[in-house]
Amino acid sequence: MDYTPFTKWVLDNGLSERTLELLVGIAIVATIVSLARYLFGSKSFGIYAPVILAVAFTYTGLRYGLVITAVVITSSLLSYLILSKIRMHYISRMAINYCLIIMSLIIFFIIVHKYNLGLPNMSLIQPLAIISIIGLSDFFAKQQIKKGFKTSILVLGSTLVIASIGWFIITREAISTFMINNLWLIPALIVINILIGQFSGLRFKDIVRFRTIIQDEENVKK
Amino acid sequence: MLRSKKIKEILGLNRRNQEYIRPLNSPSSKKIADNKILTKKVLSKEGINTPEVYKLIRTKKQLQFLDFESLPNSFVIKPNQGTGGNGIVVLYGKKKGQTAWIRPSGEIMSTKDITMHIENILEGRYSMGSRKDIAIIEERVKTDPFLKQYSYKGVPDIRIIGYNQVPIMAMMRLPTKKSNGTANLHSGAICTGIDISSGITTYSMHMQDKSLISDSYEMIDSTLDLKENKKLAGIQIPYWEQILEIAVKCQKASKLGYIGVDIALDAEKGPIVFELNARPGLGIQVANQAGLRWRLEKVKDIEIKSMKHGIRVAKNLFGGEVEESIEAISGRKVVNINEKIFLYYKTPVSKKKNDPQNREAIRVFVDTGLITSRINKTLASRIGFFEAIKYFYSLPIPDKFESFKDAQEYIDSNQTTIIGHPDILRVAKIVEEGTIKIRPVICVHTKIASEEKEIEMVVTEDTTYNVVIGRNELKGYLIDTSKTFT
Repeated sequence: MDYTPFTKWVLDNGLSERTLELLVGIAIVATIVSLARYLFGSKSFGIYAPVILAVAFTYTGLRYGLVITAVVITSSLLSYLILSKIRMHYISRMAINYCLIIMSLIIFFIIVHKYNLGLPNMSLIQPLAIISIIGLSDFFAKQQIKKGFKTSILVLGSTLVIASIGWFIITREAISTFMINNLWLIPALIVINILIGQFSGLRFKDIVRFRTIIQDEENVKK
Repeated sequence: MLRSKKIKEILGLNRRNQEYIRPLNSPSSKKIADNKILTKKVLSKEGINTPEVYKLIRTKKQLQFLDFESLPNSFVIKPNQGTGGNGIVVLYGKKKGQTAWIRPSGEIMSTKDITMHIENILEGRYSMGSRKDIAIIEERVKTDPFLKQYSYKGVPDIRIIGYNQVPIMAMMRLPTKKSNGTANLHSGAICTGIDISSGITTYSMHMQDKSLISDSYEMIDSTLDLKENKKLAGIQIPYWEQILEIAVKCQKASKLGYIGVDIALDAEKGPIVFELNARPGLGIQVANQAGLRWRLEKVKDIEIKSMKHGIRVAKNLFGGEVEESIEAISGRKVVNINEKIFLYYKTPVSKKKNDPQNREAIRVFVDTGLITSRINKTLASRIGFFEAIKYFYSLPIPDKFESFKDAQEYIDSNQTTIIGHPDILRVAKIVEEGTIKIRPVICVHTKIASEEKEIEMVVTEDTTYNVVIGRNELKGYLIDTSKTFT
């Protein structure tokens, strides 16, 4: 592959192509999170969760990644439902939650292996990727306790959307190559974030939320 | 154009954080708001009521030695540094013969359940950043009976946004069945906008479930799930003046530049401050159907000299904003004490009905102490009653009467001559400058608060006010007392 001299120099000095790709990808996903939050108004589980998910998805593939996420979240919800009947300490509850997730994942893998279910070669997925996805349950459970079911599902949704966009960007060969060849884009991302960071206008979600106020005035005009 | 102007009036989360919360709410002042014990301490110095604390539990050891028998029949358990009402448990009655308490939902909490809940609080399950916390056992506010009729079980509260010592906007939050007795909008409580100047409720909104992208509200007219649903607009919030004063005092005491003050009304103690909020939400704009941003910008550069000054500024700037909405919802129009009205000439100058030449605009005084409205002689003559007045004053009527009885006797015996002119409807006995007099009553075509009507007026000697509107004409109006003479 043709790289610019600077990129070549970077790659010759201790960074593999894959690492560089992922690192640049992280910077992009982080910027997307900030864009989504301050221009659109959608909340995600911080920056870490979407970044780690996007990276995990590059290892698992989007389809497998989303399926594993679905299993993790479903069992996390189920364990919450069951455990809410019993009063117990928070960390113990979370530990049980993890045990239940692991159990359901094992069962899930066996079922997939037995009946295929359109998911061949699942056993080839890197364990670290699966573990990263399991970690999502921590964010989810915390959010659910504090903000309730609906909010946490919404936040989970936007986290997954951002992670998927991140996955898409990282896995596009053309984009990755372009980014690697133009490493100055990382400082450019800083500039973009400075601009977003100073933005004090209405978020898209604010406009939707306050639309009755905006429309009201128009009716008066008529 | 209008849409973009309106958008600019709204305060969004970005601007709230960047221009108001971050620069105006210092870490030390946030600390006061985020810590209920500290809030109580700071406010009690200012003489502001907060719920009385029965017990503070700081450690598991203290919890172990908690004497449940000493707890009253009803109380509330709160995490000291809780957010968004999480971890608050209300116990409103003791189960007979047992050491167990009943929650508003009917659920029973034993000492074991309570211990477990307090342990969770101590471990920081409900506190910001899951830090170790203190559990507060405090008095349960007994809702003011007037407001109680609008809420389902829980305690309604009043939220006021304060900035630069001016109460900027206010709303009431009413618990519903869906919100499970809490005043949390996201759980389904009703929010009702309040007109800052009068303390009268305006619009009411309720959050819809369906919305996915964002909070979506629908406008409602009356309460949702009470035995007898009540109209929500036009409610006069009790203790309004006091509530505004408390809001300003709280801002001063906490030094929060941008503050949300949550006030409940207790049946015995009156206004009680529940909580100070260093990051108050923006839903209040929906309840009032008005933007916060322009209000904040309007008071930004005003130098507020005193608490009363701050309140006066709020009333003058933001009061009239909702007059129309009160009218729209309650069907009642708002008139000011000093109101501009139109008087139509008896014989129109122009043939066009709506020609401004046919009427005269004047400032009138609204006086609920009077029964019949009054108009002075000169003005009445000018608008076409000259002949009638000339006729009346040509009659040999005594200047004053000793009593109303004498006056009535005189009227009875001279009935036909006194109302001899077609423009004189009848005569009235009035007290003018301390003496009892008989004066003619005429019928004037007017326009008050954009409504045309015929008003009977007593013609008086020339006084300070050309026209004084009395009680007879004020039925169906709300009188705004904040706009007096300037």
